[in-house]
Amino acid sequence: MRTILILFMAHAALAISPQAAQHLQSGREQEKQGHFDVAITEFRKVTELEPNFTEGFIALGQTYMEQRDFAAAVAPLKHALKLDASLLPAHQLLGYALLSQGYAAEAIPHLERVHEVGALGIAQLQAGNLPEALANLREALQKQPNDPDLLYYFGRASGLLSKQSIDTLLMTYPDSARGHQSMGENYFVLRQLPEAEKEYRKALELRPQTPNIHLELGQVYAMGSRWPQAEEQFRAEVKLQPGSAEAAFRLGDALLQQGKVQEARRELRRSDQLMPNMPETLYEFGKASALDGDAAAAEKAWLDLLGIEKDGALAAQAHFGLAGIYRNQGNTVEADKQMKAFREVQGGAAPQNER
Amino acid sequence: MRVEENCGNSRNNSLVKRVVRVCLASCLLVLVAAVTDSVFDLKPPLGLDFVLQNSPTPQKCLIETMPGGVALLDYNNDGLLDIFLVNGGHISSPAKYPDNFDRHDPRYWNRLYRQNKDGSFTDVTEQAGLAGAGDGNYGMGVAVGDYDNDGYPDLYVTSYGKNILYHNNGDGTFTDVTTKAGVAAGGWSVSAGFFDYDNDGRLDLFVTRYMEWDTRHNKDCGGNFHTYCPPGEFPRTTNILYHNRGDGTFEDVSQSSGIAAKKGHGLGVAFADYDGDGFTDIYVANDGMQQYLFHNNGNGTFTEVGLEEGAGLSVDGGPLSGMGVVFQDYDNDGLPDIIVTTLPRQTYGVFHNDGHSVFSDRGLQTGIRMMSGVTSGWGVGLEDFDNDGQKDLFITQGHVLDNVEQIDPSLKYLEPTLLAINHGGRFERVDSGSNDLVAGRGAAFGDLNNDGWMDVVTSVLGQHPQVFLNRGGNAHWLTITLRGTRSNRDGLGARVKVNGQTRFATTAGSYESASDKRVHFGLGDAKKANVEVLWPSGTRQTLNDIRVDQNLEIREPERP
Repeated sequence: MRTILILFMAHAALAISPQAAQHLQSGREQEKQGHFDVAITEFRKVTELEPNFTEGFIALGQTYMEQRDFAAAVAPLKHALKLDASLLPAHQLLGYALLSQGYAAEAIPHLERVHEVGALGIAQLQAGNLPEALANLREALQKQPNDPDLLYYFGRASGLLSKQSIDTLLMTYPDSARGHQSMGENYFVLRQLPEAEKEYRKALELRPQTPNIHLELGQVYAMGSRWPQAEEQFRAEVKLQPGSAEAAFRLGDALLQQGKVQEARRELRRSDQLMPNMPETLYEFGKASALDGDAAAAEKAWLDLLGIEKDGALAAQAHFGLAGIYRNQGNTVEADKQMKAFREVQGGAAPQNER
Repeated sequence: MRVEENCGNSRNNSLVKRVVRVCLASCLLVLVAAVTDSVFDLKPPLGLDFVLQNSPTPQKCLIETMPGGVALLDYNNDGLLDIFLVNGGHISSPAKYPDNFDRHDPRYWNRLYRQNKDGSFTDVTEQAGLAGAGDGNYGMGVAVGDYDNDGYPDLYVTSYGKNILYHNNGDGTFTDVTTKAGVAAGGWSVSAGFFDYDNDGRLDLFVTRYMEWDTRHNKDCGGNFHTYCPPGEFPRTTNILYHNRGDGTFEDVSQSSGIAAKKGHGLGVAFADYDGDGFTDIYVANDGMQQYLFHNNGNGTFTEVGLEEGAGLSVDGGPLSGMGVVFQDYDNDGLPDIIVTTLPRQTYGVFHNDGHSVFSDRGLQTGIRMMSGVTSGWGVGLEDFDNDGQKDLFITQGHVLDNVEQIDPSLKYLEPTLLAINHGGRFERVDSGSNDLVAGRGAAFGDLNNDGWMDVVTSVLGQHPQVFLNRGGNAHWLTITLRGTRSNRDGLGARVKVNGQTRFATTAGSYESASDKRVHFGLGDAKKANVEVLWPSGTRQTLNDIRVDQNLEIREPERP
C-alpha cells in the first residue's frame, strides 16, 4: 500500500507550486525517517497551499495513520475523496481508518472499492453481515493461510454464523428434535449434565433415528462417569452409523472404562480401520491391548502412534505405556529408555496437575 | 437391582409387608433402595457430640477444607475402642498472621470419647489432659502408636502450626511431651503414622507435609468464584521422618534418610513391606503430582521409586491428586497393593503389586475406575466388611471446593460415601447404609463393638462424625492382637497370614486418621484358621487350627 501511494504521489507532485512541492518533498523525507509530527506539519502546509491537491490530503491522512491517530486521518482522507471519488488509495486508507475506530459499516464501501477482502471480511463481521464476512475471510485466508488475525476472525465469524443459525432454529422450531439437540449441546458445554440429558432425550423421543444425538448423549453420560449408560448410547449410534469412526471410538472407550477390554479392542480396531492412524485411537487400542495381556499388540499400536506423533500428551502417554510393558517383561533397559523419553516429552519433569 | 429378591428377602418383617404392599401396587424400581440389605447402619452413638469446626471463610483460607483426623484406639485398655477426633480451629476473617485459631475455646478442642460398655460414649477430653490444642495450631490429623512400648497407645496430632505428641500415662491421662520428644515439626503437617523402619523394636514416626504456606500467603483462586487454590500455586515441601531413640526422644532423620530429598505436596501416608525384604516401605499420596513410593533400603535410608516401579502416575502417565491411601493386599496374592483417592476428572489410583518390585494400574480391572470419575476421595480403607475373606473398599468423599457447583455444575461438593464389595478382585458398589451427602474427610476402621465385624468412623466438615456400624451376619472371623516382645509392642509392620489372606499390621493409612491396631480377617465358612505371623524382628510364628470368631492375642516368641 505504501509503495502505491509513493508512486502515485511522485507523479502527482508535478502539478503543484514549487513552495507546495518543497513542503511535500520535506514531508516525505520526514515521514520516511519516522518524524511523523514534522511530516504532518509539512503535509498540512501542502493542503493549505494547494486545497485542491488530493495527494496532499492523502499524504496527511496516511501519516496520521502511521502515527496511529486514526481519528485525525479521517477528515483529510474524506476531503481527498470529496475532490476525487475515484482515488483508490484514499478509499483504502479511509476504510482502514474507519474500521480501526469501530465504524465498520462506514468502512465497508471503501474496502469494497479496493477489494481488501481481509479487512472487508472483518468489517462485515463487525457489522453483522456474517455470510459475506465468512466468504471474504475465506478468500483472504487462501492468500495468507497462516495469518493469526484472519484465522481468529474466520473462526469467530463461523462461530457466530453457527450460533445465528441455531438461534433461528430454536426460535422457529423450539420443539423440534434439532432444537432440543442444540439445547443439549449448549447445556453440555456449560456442564449442566442433567439438563443436557433431558434435552437429548426429548430429541430422541421426537426423532430417534437422527444421527449424532445418541453420540452426544453418550458423551454426557461419559462426562458423568456413567459408563454403562454411555455404552448404551454409543451402541445405538454405532447401529445408526456403522461407518462412523468416532462412534466406534467412543464405544470402545466406554467399554474400556468398564474393563470390557476384548470388546473394547474390537471397537477400537474397527475405528482404526474406518479412519486409520488417528493417534487417539491408537493410544486407546494400545491401552486396551495391554490390559488384555496382548503386549505385542499394545507395543505395536504405541510405536505406530509415536511414528505419527512425536510430541504432545499422547506421545508422552505412549512412552509411559511402553515403559510399563517393558518393565513387566523385565526389560529394564528399554523401560528406562521409555521413561526417559516420557520425561523429555513431558518437559523434563512429571507434570503438575491442577484442580 | 434385584427387585424380586429384595421384595422377598428383607430381614425386617414389617418392612417386608410394607414393601410388598407397595410392590403389588406399583412394583417400581425406586423401592430397591428401601429394601436392600446394607452392610452398615449409620447410627450416631449417644454421647458423640463432636462437630468438626473448620471455619470456612470468604477468603478461602486453604487449611479450612483439609481437616480432620479420626483415631480408633483403646486408650485405657478396657477392651473397647475409643474415638479421638481432631478439630480445625477458628480462622479470623480475613485471616490474620499469625492466627491463634482460638484453640483454647472448647468448641475448637480436639476430643477424646471413651466408649462405655453400652456402646455410648463419654467425652473425657478434659480429664484426659487433651483440652486445648495449642493456640496457633489448626488441627489436621492424628497418628496412634505405643512409641515407648509401655502398653498404652500414644497420640500424635498434626496441625498447621506445631504438632503435639501426647504420651499416654496409663491412668486415663495424657501428657504433652512434644518438646522433650522433639517432634513438633512446624509448617503444615497433614497425616502421620508410627512404624518401625529400622526394626529396632521402637516405633518411629513419619509426617507428611502439604506445602510451603501460611495464612499471610494464602491465595484466592477461581476468579469471580473465589475458591481454594490448587497445590501447584504453592511451593512443595518436605516430609519428615523421626527416628525413635528409645529414651523418649526422637531424632529428625529426614535428611540423612533421603526422605527430604523429595519435596512434594504430601497428604496421606501408608506403610507396608511391598518387596518382602523385611523392611517397611512408605507410600505418600501427593496432591496434584507424582505419588512417592519410598523404598526402605534397610540401612536407614530410603529411595523414591514411584515412577520406576509403576506406582507414581496414572495408567495414562498423568499425575494424581492423591489424598488418602491404603497399602494392603486386595486380591489375596500376599503382596500389598496401593489404592490412592483423588479428585474428580481423575480416577482413584489402583496400583497392583505384581511382585518383583513392579506395580501396574488396575483401575479398570478392579472396577474402581468406573466408580471414581466424578467424586473426590479422602479417607480410604480395605477391610473385609462382609467377612467373606476378601477385603472391601470404603471411601469417604466430598469435593475440596465448597462452591464447586458454581465452577463445574457437573460436580458436587457434598458426595455420598462409597462402599464397594470385593468379588474376586473386582469391586461392586453397594449401599453404604447412608444416603447422606457429606464433605467427608477422615476415616478410621475398627471393630467398635467387638462383634467381629468391622465398623467405620468418618469425619465430616462442619458436622458430626459418621459412625458406620456393621450390621453383621453369619460368616466367621478372627481378630488378632499382636503382642510384640522383640519387635515393637503392637507388632506394627508384621505380616499376618490367615487362611490365604494377608494383612500388614498398621494403624496408619487412610487420610489423617489412625485405625484399630488389631488385625482383622473375615473367614467366610471356615471353622478353623491357620495363622502365620512374620514379625518385624524376622521371627516367623505359625499357629494352626485356631478357633474362629474370637479376639486372639498372639505373643511374639522371646527367642527367634
